[in-house]
Amino acid sequence: MNILDLNEKGAKGALVEEAQGKWGMVIDQDLCTGCQACVAACAMENNIAFVGEEDAGYGRSLQWIRVERFWEGEYPEVKMTSFQPKLCQHCHNAPCEPVCPVFAAVHSPSEDLNLQVYNRCVGTRYCGNNCPYQARVFNWRDYERPTPLNNQFNPDVTVRRRGVMEKCTFCLQRIHRAEDAAKAEGREILDGEFAPACAQACPADAIVFGRLDDPDSRVSQLSRQRRGVHLLEELGTLPRVTYLKGE
Amino acid sequence: MADQISLLAVFPDLEPAANAIDTLRSLGLSDENMNVISGVPVTEAMLGRPRQWTNVPRLALGGAGGGFLVGTFLVFTPLLYFVPVGGQPTVPGPPSVVILFELTMLGLLISTFLGVFLDSTFPSYRPMEYVPEISDGKIGILYHCPADKEEKFTKAMTALGAERVELAEEQQL
Amino acid sequence: MAATSQHLELSHEERLREQHLMLDPKPRGEMNAMVMEAMHTTSWKFWVMAVLLGGIVLIGLFGAWGYLIAEGLGVAGVNRPSYWGIFLVNTVFWIGISHAGTFISAILRVFKAEFRRPFTRAAELMTTFGLVQAGFSIFMHMGRVWLAYWLFPYPNERQLWPNFHSPLSWDLLAITTYLLASTMYLFLPLIPDMAMARDRSTGWRKNAYKILALGFRGTEGEWTHLRTAMSIFAFAIIPVMFSVHTIVAWDFAAATRPGWSSTIFGPYFVVGALHSGMGAVIMVLAIVRATMKNMKYFIRPEHFDAIGKLMLIISMTWAYFFFNDYIVQWYGGDRWTKELLHWHEAGPMGWMWFLMLIVNVAIPWLVLWNKKWRSTPWVVFVVGLLINVGMYIERYIIIPISLTINRQPFTWRLYKPGIEIPLSIGTLAFFILLYMLASKFIPLVPVWEVQEGQMAHSVKKFGRETVVTVSELD
Repeated sequence: MNILDLNEKGAKGALVEEAQGKWGMVIDQDLCTGCQACVAACAMENNIAFVGEEDAGYGRSLQWIRVERFWEGEYPEVKMTSFQPKLCQHCHNAPCEPVCPVFAAVHSPSEDLNLQVYNRCVGTRYCGNNCPYQARVFNWRDYERPTPLNNQFNPDVTVRRRGVMEKCTFCLQRIHRAEDAAKAEGREILDGEFAPACAQACPADAIVFGRLDDPDSRVSQLSRQRRGVHLLEELGTLPRVTYLKGE
Repeated sequence: MADQISLLAVFPDLEPAANAIDTLRSLGLSDENMNVISGVPVTEAMLGRPRQWTNVPRLALGGAGGGFLVGTFLVFTPLLYFVPVGGQPTVPGPPSVVILFELTMLGLLISTFLGVFLDSTFPSYRPMEYVPEISDGKIGILYHCPADKEEKFTKAMTALGAERVELAEEQQL
Repeated sequence: MAATSQHLELSHEERLREQHLMLDPKPRGEMNAMVMEAMHTTSWKFWVMAVLLGGIVLIGLFGAWGYLIAEGLGVAGVNRPSYWGIFLVNTVFWIGISHAGTFISAILRVFKAEFRRPFTRAAELMTTFGLVQAGFSIFMHMGRVWLAYWLFPYPNERQLWPNFHSPLSWDLLAITTYLLASTMYLFLPLIPDMAMARDRSTGWRKNAYKILALGFRGTEGEWTHLRTAMSIFAFAIIPVMFSVHTIVAWDFAAATRPGWSSTIFGPYFVVGALHSGMGAVIMVLAIVRATMKNMKYFIRPEHFDAIGKLMLIISMTWAYFFFNDYIVQWYGGDRWTKELLHWHEAGPMGWMWFLMLIVNVAIPWLVLWNKKWRSTPWVVFVVGLLINVGMYIERYIIIPISLTINRQPFTWRLYKPGIEIPLSIGTLAFFILLYMLASKFIPLVPVWEVQEGQMAHSVKKFGRETVVTVSELD
């Protein structure tokens, strides 16, 4: 079965909802200042919990996007080279998908995104091990949301409990909202009509999001630039995120 | 036809038991009317008995086939409920081999195990002809002979070294 | 002159009889009594040990596990990038130990190695109880273990089948197959001994044995069916055994991690399983011989000698596979793999790597070539213990230590075990406790097989030499 077929039939003959497009992202490392506004915005938008200082120090922070720092030299002659925001690359051949025993990590044929279905996850964490970008995080505990922080929840996004994996969804809730609005008005989504939380928050406009199947969209044009690379391309994961970096 | 009665002769060793079988045969008993009960497996050839039939290998093969069918069911069901994962086809080749192998072996082994029960009519807790000395290494020969010849058979068995010859009572094991 | 040489011959024969269980037959009734006595005799030390272990199991296993389920995996030491830690190490370790039982009762039976006869059942018990601990460890590592039944194929309203692309699903089938198969293979040769125990017991024991003996009498038909089935099992369970640990190895080899994606993992893990398993068997046999009554008749230095030889060969095979894996990774030049190898040897846990090589390779090679040392129970006990330590370290290196190094240096972080430690001790205590309780209920020595072997063995003179001969009774 060709998973690129937009009008494909799912189980019991249900028609898969007609998709608006294939989504992708471009991150410009030459513009990124490492301010981590994207990290904060993502946490707000997706009801991500705060794990506390101890767990964060032990590598358990639930950052769906993390900003990695690179530098050259030894202290005190240290030169910051670049920042690299890392998030789920939504690989076309995602290594995290075949290894989940309960089909919690699956591919969306219509939007060409990698999905994490929280309700199916039993927490074996094989997907986390198998992601070459280490983009997946796990809910190690039930985290507290002390009042009044619980008022800040986004009603479009589930609140996950302990024992499930989670990761960046390219703000699927925003994609669906924009698709619904466009469908209601009988038009296509305009390029730049919406953006995921990280792209919206970035002050340097380093993160660009849009339809990769539309050759005129901003993200398509940027991804075709000579500066563009795919991370860990040799693994054959076919990621949907292009990183722009000069010399 | 005279009444058939069952007698159990207990022998201490292999050689006298083999002689006893020969003697019983020469006295006119057919092989179906004799049975050997022992605490260690003594092969039929050692006692000059015909080879025992067993259905276990056939049941085992049947079970292997059944296991294989269950395996194909597991492997091909995803064709009905397609969920796309990571660039692999719906029915992946090498993983299917693994599943088919494991379930075939499981079918083979379970049916072998149950085949023993079926063939031996296990478990059976009704009273049976037995004496506990057999698990202590004695060899018992259970034979059905006409009632009027009992005296003759008993004398023959005792002459060959039977420790005791008695009516085989069905006792609770 | 003639009298003297006859006298010498006699004592040579006597020596053979003393060394070889198969040449030293006792009346069957006496052997039965010895085995029953070994089961019934318990000293106060046994009960102290059992209560102690029971306490550890209650607190360390079930108590700590309940806490783990209630609080979540945060109380364990796993993190990103080491998503798998000691729970998986334990799983692989216990499955490895369980392979020894099958090796002894199946492979040695197929190759007609007569020395296996007194301890096949003791080894098979290790298989069953080891698999129980492996199962516990797998369930412990799951984030939402109360939904574990989703891994089984059953009709459901979510219209979902388990994902058979995943090595974890293959694991499920393989381990289930192996557990069922080894339990059945434990039970089949046990039936005649249950009948023997039924004949020699009273009270609740007699009732229990009567039920388990299924009405076995020892008729020709019963023996034929049983032996045919045992023969089929012996041959068929060998590929199952190989496939199970290979599939467990594929949990790692099918992943994309540096150091894991190695094609040799399949056979490497199987040999590793045999390595640790044989060490464990020797430990169990040494303890059984030292603590249970009458076992010194059944388990003799010749058995330790034979298993010791096997341990030496398996240690060499393990070293071959380890070096194979290492040289290919070292030569390949992949920067992440090179980083990982450097981390193994020179990182903070580098001492573990060297210790592993010393106890898995150096010590067996130095000790086990000597027949006298091989035949001494406490020497091989120590070697077996060290090998198990070494193999545990090997799996620890492969899982949490290798997971630390991945292609994202920003995520590298050491793994520090948390609640895994009491849980691991709990599984070990549970294993020992189950074994101790089983030894009081199940005759550890398959007496009918021992007698079968004794019937087939004799001494014969070849010229001036008196030798042991074995007849093929099949």
